[in-house]
Amino acid sequence: MTDGERTIKIEPVTRLEGHGDLTIRLTKTGKVKDVQFNVTSTRFFEKFLEGRFAEEAPILAPRICGICPVPHHLASVKAVEAAWDVTPPPAAVKVRRLHINAKQLSSHGLHFFALAAPDFLAGPFGDPAKRNVAEIIKALPDVGKLALHVMQFGQDLSGSVGGRPVHPVTSVPGGLLSPFSEEKRDAFLKQLDSLKEWTTATVELAKKVIEDYWDPITKLAVVPTYYLGTHKSGNLEIYDGQIRVMDPEGKIVADFKPKDYRKHLGEHIPDHSYATHTFYLPAGYPEGVWRANTLARCNIADRMATPLAQEALEEMRAKLGRPIHATFAYHWARVIEMVQAVEEIEMLLKDPDIVSTDVKLSDVQPKKGNGVGCVEAPRGTLIHHYWTDEKGVITAANLIVATNNNIAGIEKSLLEAAKQIFEKRAHESLKLPEPKIR
Amino acid sequence: MTKRVAFAQLSSCWGCDQSLVDLHFSLLEVLPQLEILYWPAVVDFKLKDLEGLPDKSVHVGFVEGSCRTENDLHLLKVMREKSKLLVAWGSCSCFGGVQGLGNQWTLSQLTDTKFFKPETVVNPRLPTENVPAFLDKVAPNPQHVPFDIILPGCPPSSKNTFDAVTALLTGAPFDLPQKTVCDQCTRTREEKRIKKFRRTHEGKIDPKKCILDQGYLCLGFATIGFCGAQCPAANAPCKGCFGPPPGVKDHGAKIISALGGIVEMEPEELRAAFPDPIGSFYFVDYAASYLSRITSKEDSKK
Ligand code: SF4
Ligand code: SF4
Ligand code: SF4
Repeated sequence: MTDGERTIKIEPVTRLEGHGDLTIRLTKTGKVKDVQFNVTSTRFFEKFLEGRFAEEAPILAPRICGICPVPHHLASVKAVEAAWDVTPPPAAVKVRRLHINAKQLSSHGLHFFALAAPDFLAGPFGDPAKRNVAEIIKALPDVGKLALHVMQFGQDLSGSVGGRPVHPVTSVPGGLLSPFSEEKRDAFLKQLDSLKEWTTATVELAKKVIEDYWDPITKLAVVPTYYLGTHKSGNLEIYDGQIRVMDPEGKIVADFKPKDYRKHLGEHIPDHSYATHTFYLPAGYPEGVWRANTLARCNIADRMATPLAQEALEEMRAKLGRPIHATFAYHWARVIEMVQAVEEIEMLLKDPDIVSTDVKLSDVQPKKGNGVGCVEAPRGTLIHHYWTDEKGVITAANLIVATNNNIAGIEKSLLEAAKQIFEKRAHESLKLPEPKIR
Repeated sequence: MTKRVAFAQLSSCWGCDQSLVDLHFSLLEVLPQLEILYWPAVVDFKLKDLEGLPDKSVHVGFVEGSCRTENDLHLLKVMREKSKLLVAWGSCSCFGGVQGLGNQWTLSQLTDTKFFKPETVVNPRLPTENVPAFLDKVAPNPQHVPFDIILPGCPPSSKNTFDAVTALLTGAPFDLPQKTVCDQCTRTREEKRIKKFRRTHEGKIDPKKCILDQGYLCLGFATIGFCGAQCPAANAPCKGCFGPPPGVKDHGAKIISALGGIVEMEPEELRAAFPDPIGSFYFVDYAASYLSRITSKEDSKK
């Protein structure tokens, strides 16, 4: 370090799922030189998937992330099915869609209430000992209960479909090991009215927060990037669709099948992070840096797949336009996606096929080949690519996880936020509401 | 009296955390009794806050994940210093976890595949700035520092963690069951004589009969019965993710010897059925096996 330069280390970054430190370097004169998001570990799944029976990959892969194991389970099983040319029965696909929507709901609930809400309710500059979900549960029991209801419904439903709430086991190449039973379906159908009430209450709370924090939302960390997400005929989609890339001006620059990802996606290895930075290959790095996750999906999609979610999206677009570059709008987009998840869950639970017992092919032949499986995890596009030999054993794997698709964009928005805070002291002039808990 | 607790994550997937959060309304019973001193997923205290605590000032420390980097090892040692009772929370912590499967290769083979081989990587290299060095091998945490309590599971179920936390809060003893998953499984069993193994994508599993009897590798017989036989209840074979019952030193060795007694297959046939014995018999605990330690010794001789 040269004289007078200063390094600020945040170790670890908290209320985030994953491991990371933040390094901010300031020049002598207090200008922000750079911001690094240091992802400080990796466990080498790409290597130890090698040599495993491919049908075991969907059991191993969830261990990549315990907060979003369902998308890994499903991307993985889809990759194996693609490699072996297997198409599961349509009812199995519906149950998998129920599975991923249940997880979407619980994960977004967790993120909104446990990771984001503390800053909004205790104020971004509140005492660290107060700024957490445990304190919210104590100080604002109604909000706490709402949070617990939403998360519990999603996790219980996800656990019922997947065999366990964390690290599911039911999807195998060719379908599902067990159908979704009528008893279980009926139990969740009974809770639908309550679920819809909780959702409405969450939307109301989110609206209030957005109103209160309008100033920081529209002024802080507004960063133009490319966006990456999945759609089906223009609708926002999380299980099975085409991948779209939108440029910072809002133009769709690529729209492709997941199996063609290598033509569009590059991975840059920064010197300071074990998570690689993916980017839009034709634009190069760092120009082609994109963001994935909720807001990105809401940007690239023409519309939501369900009516109430669509109303909510229109409201956001009326206020913030399209594409939206405001990093804080991720929270808004998250709630819009929660609404879609709830609407899809209702539709699927009411579909008679959801309890069909015809959910698995009995004849599945492993073969030599390679296949790509792609779904949207709550935090962004997830790609599993496996190569198998004629016995169906994995010989190589390439994994692009949500972190890869976001981390460069996160760094970019952190750099912008750091400049605003350290150089312009923007946070001092922002209009902030009175904290709800102290 | 409130208990001062800390939750630390080494290299992990955070599934043990998620499983704890899945207590949902039961959290309302537990949380008021806890003073949280460190828990990055939830509370904004930093590593230096933890390092600054007096030794043994944390009543109970929970360690999730295993040591893949030097930072992990540092955090583990800090947790040991600060905690009166230290809990190995989850199978990563107890046995190394799935990442222990990486011990079949050298570190440079692992980093090669991750950073140099993928076609999508445009600038192959190994990151070195502000990132900790990797350890050569994954080892179970109890091989690095002493632990007071082992709570296996990948992840432990919400109930497992709730029971453990409640016991620790009240000072009640906490012992692992001697049972196996088979003891908790409700399927009907016959005298086992397996003539052929099938893979999970082959055919359909009968939801009533023992999965192993049907020729699918279900490891319930060699796995600690602590999860309530979750997977067989979902018509899926047990993979052994909670590790072996207490007293069994080497999970895979135990599985192989037990299989010897129930299969009617020639050794060559059995070998052909499992081209991947390490992945098949050591799902979360290869790092704890004798085999892994032997290869480590060979690597270090090189
Ligand atoms: S034990 Fe399993 S659930 Fe827990 S951190 Fe390790 S991989 Fe995740
Ligand atoms: S081997 Fe598996 S299916 Fe059979 S009794 Fe044991 S746990 Fe149940
Ligand atoms: S049945 Fe086996 S694999 Fe499933 S959760 Fe229990 S110990 Fe783990």
